[in-house]
Order: sequence, then structure tokens, then C-alpha cells
Amino acid sequence: MASTNRRGWQRGRGEDPILPEVLYVLWERRLLVVGAVLALVFVAAVFGLRPDRLYTAEASVSVTPQEGVGTGEDPEAFVEEVLAGVTARDFLRDVMREAGWTEGPEEFRERFDVERHQDSDGASGLRVRFSGSSAEEASRSANAYAEVFVDRVQRLNDRRLAGGSLAADARVEKYASPESGANYHLLLLAVAAMVAGVIVGGTAALLLESRTRSWRDARDAELTLRAPVLGVIPDYSSEEG
Amino acid sequence: MTLGSAHDAGAERLLSPDSSVRRHFEELADNLLSLGERPLSVVVTGPEPGAGCSSVCLGVSGALAATGRRAAVVDCNLRNPGLHRMLGEPNFLGLTTSLGGNRALEHYGFEAVPGVFAVPTGPVPADPDAPLRSERFVEAVRGLGEGRDLVLLDAPAAGRMLDTPTLSGGFDGVLLVVHATQTSKNTAREVTEDLLDAGVNLLGVVLNGFTNGTS
Repeated sequence: MASTNRRGWQRGRGEDPILPEVLYVLWERRLLVVGAVLALVFVAAVFGLRPDRLYTAEASVSVTPQEGVGTGEDPEAFVEEVLAGVTARDFLRDVMREAGWTEGPEEFRERFDVERHQDSDGASGLRVRFSGSSAEEASRSANAYAEVFVDRVQRLNDRRLAGGSLAADARVEKYASPESGANYHLLLLAVAAMVAGVIVGGTAALLLESRTRSWRDARDAELTLRAPVLGVIPDYSSEEG
Repeated sequence: MTLGSAHDAGAERLLSPDSSVRRHFEELADNLLSLGERPLSVVVTGPEPGAGCSSVCLGVSGALAATGRRAAVVDCNLRNPGLHRMLGEPNFLGLTTSLGGNRALEHYGFEAVPGVFAVPTGPVPADPDAPLRSERFVEAVRGLGEGRDLVLLDAPAAGRMLDTPTLSGGFDGVLLVVHATQTSKNTAREVTEDLLDAGVNLLGVVLNGFTNGTS
């Protein structure tokens, strides 16, 4: 009896990528995948647009010692000293007025997050973050803090001329922007939801596919088994009898 | 035996020239014969019992016979013989009686329809796999191939077939029958891997029982 050689498809089988099979499954179960993506994007939209959600905006201020004054001091310690001097009296009240804040000062204070920073080039300053109920409110408040801070530093410098001890240059390096922050956040949320939807939907599709007893056609069998389909025999049981 | 005496209506349809599935079996038969020189001996197995191996064997051999070629089907499923039942024949004589004696398989089968020679299992011994493990089994099937284009061995499910080296490696190749509504994809994938890992010459796959509404 004649002997057939091992088929070429068997030799190259180990190198076959699994990607086509995965893409085929995702395409055939696209309704499930799209459904998962839409569901997660909907959840993200509900979360992202909820009324009580907080928007965070950030402004930054650079603080440097004036020439000949405090140049030997640790930059962060210097910023700390300036901050203590500037925010000593009624600072937040002025910021509230500038920002148009009408509610209580405690809540206003709690929404601020001020931290010292130092760049790689040695420049130091403050990062001011404010969490508001709208992007506009957040950026307005963060910018108000930065501007009042700079204004107060200037006033302290003026006082030094009249006998004070602090001498620093402060300027607003970056103003908080209401539009970009909010949109960027929503866009990130949407992209994350879409990626999560593809992962969840794709995993569900692959899981269902491995358990199913339904074969679509010859291509389905070829991609699943990575073997050639030599024939497809239709179901003829209903024709029997 | 004639078609009129077949007890199983499915077998009648498989062997009838007017069958609606005939052209699908013809295509499968042509694909099989294109894979090697004749006579070709092919072991037909499935991931699990019920995939339709016997039906595929009869359908392919019927399609070949309809075009003037000759084929034989040997029932090697000694743990669950079915070919004789499909064809409405007794199982007093067959593969095991041939292997136990000195006469060729040709003497222990019958013409299901002109051009299709069927060999039932014959009486099943206490150790059903023992007759299949002998080299005599391979020689007997080779002898049956003389003067024929194709010999199909209706084998047990793949797991058991792999336990029988003569079946998994003694012939030209293995055809895997997958049922389109009963075989799980996971099982079929695992069995395919098992066959290839065992070094079986897997010729290809048949998708059996397919309906357009399968998915």
C-alpha cells in the first residue's frame, strides 16, 4: 500500500500564528465584544459625568531667592520659608475672594493640595492643585492661589526694602487650564473603558468559543484546529426515513 | 446485500446515487485520493464516539463506487461495532475471524453496493484491542487494498486509536471527523494536538453534520 508523506501543513504548523484565529473569533463574536465595549463606555460616561464628580486643576509657581539673598540656603527650605511668610495672615481669604468662592473657608482649604517641588535644574517652587465641582472652578481657584501668592511675595519684597528679611522672586509658571484638563480626563476614561471592553468582551468571546459545540464553516474548523479541512458534510438527518 | 435490505435509512442515503450529500462525499473522496498513491489506506477517527466516522466511511466509499472506483470499509471499532448494523448485516464473520485464521479479509466481508466492500468486526474477543495490535492486521488490510483505490478503517475514538500503534502509525494517514454540532472546539483542538504530538500523519479534518444554522 502506498504511503503518503507527512503533509507540508504539519511541518509549518508550529510556526503558524494564533493571531488570525483570535481575530477571527473576535470578528465572529463582534456583537459580544462591541456590547462589552459599549457597556463599559456607558459606565465610564456615567462615572465621568456624574454631578458630584471633582475636577482637579494644577498651577505652578516658581520661587527663587533674589540675588545675594539666601543663595546658600537649601531651595526647598527657602520655599518653605517663603510659603510660611506669605500664607501667614488672611491668605486664604484673599484667594477665596479672588476665586469667587462663596462657601465656607474650611471646605476651600480642604480642596487645596500644595506641595513643594524642585526641578532637575535646581529651580524650586510650588505646585497648587484644587479639586472643584467644575473644571472652571478648579482652574480658577488654583490660578487665584498662584496669583495671590505671587502678589504677596512681591509685597514682602517691598517690605524688605522697609526693613523686612525675605527677598524672593516668584512668578506663575503655569496656569491651570479648564478645558484641556476636563477633556483630557474624559478622553482617557473613554479610552480606558474601550480597552477594558475589548479585553473583557474578547476574553468572554474566546471562552465561549472554546466551549461551543457549534462550528460555523470550514474556515472556522481550519482556524480552530490549524489543519486542512478536506470535506464538509451537511446534516442529512432530517432527510432520512 | 442490496440497498433495499439495508436496515439503517442513513446508510441507504449514504450509498444511494441520488443522495443529496453525494457531491460532498465525492469532493471529500477526491481530496483524499489526491493526497497519495493508490491504493490509499486511511484510518477514520473522531475526537469522541458519535462524530460520524462510520457514516463518513460509507459516504466516501459510496461516492467512489458511483464513479466506477472501488473502495473497502473495515470496521475496527471492536469495542462498539456498528458497521454491520448500519448495513443490516450479521456480525458472525469479519475482521477478527480473518485475523484468527489464515484467509484474507476478502473472504469475511460483503459487497454493500457494487464497488463498496464492507468488513464488519466479526465476533469480539475478551481483549478487544488484541487483534488490532498484530502485524497481521496491517498485512490483511494491505491485502484488501489490492485492486482498490481506497481502504477506509472505521476506527474507535482518537484516544483509543492512539493506544493502538498499528492504527495510529500502520497506514497511510488519519482522517479526523469533527461533528459540527456535537464536538466541542476545545476537545477537537486537544485531540488534534494529541494526534500530531504522537507523530500521526494527520491528513486533514472532515466537518460532519454541518448545517447553515450551526452557529
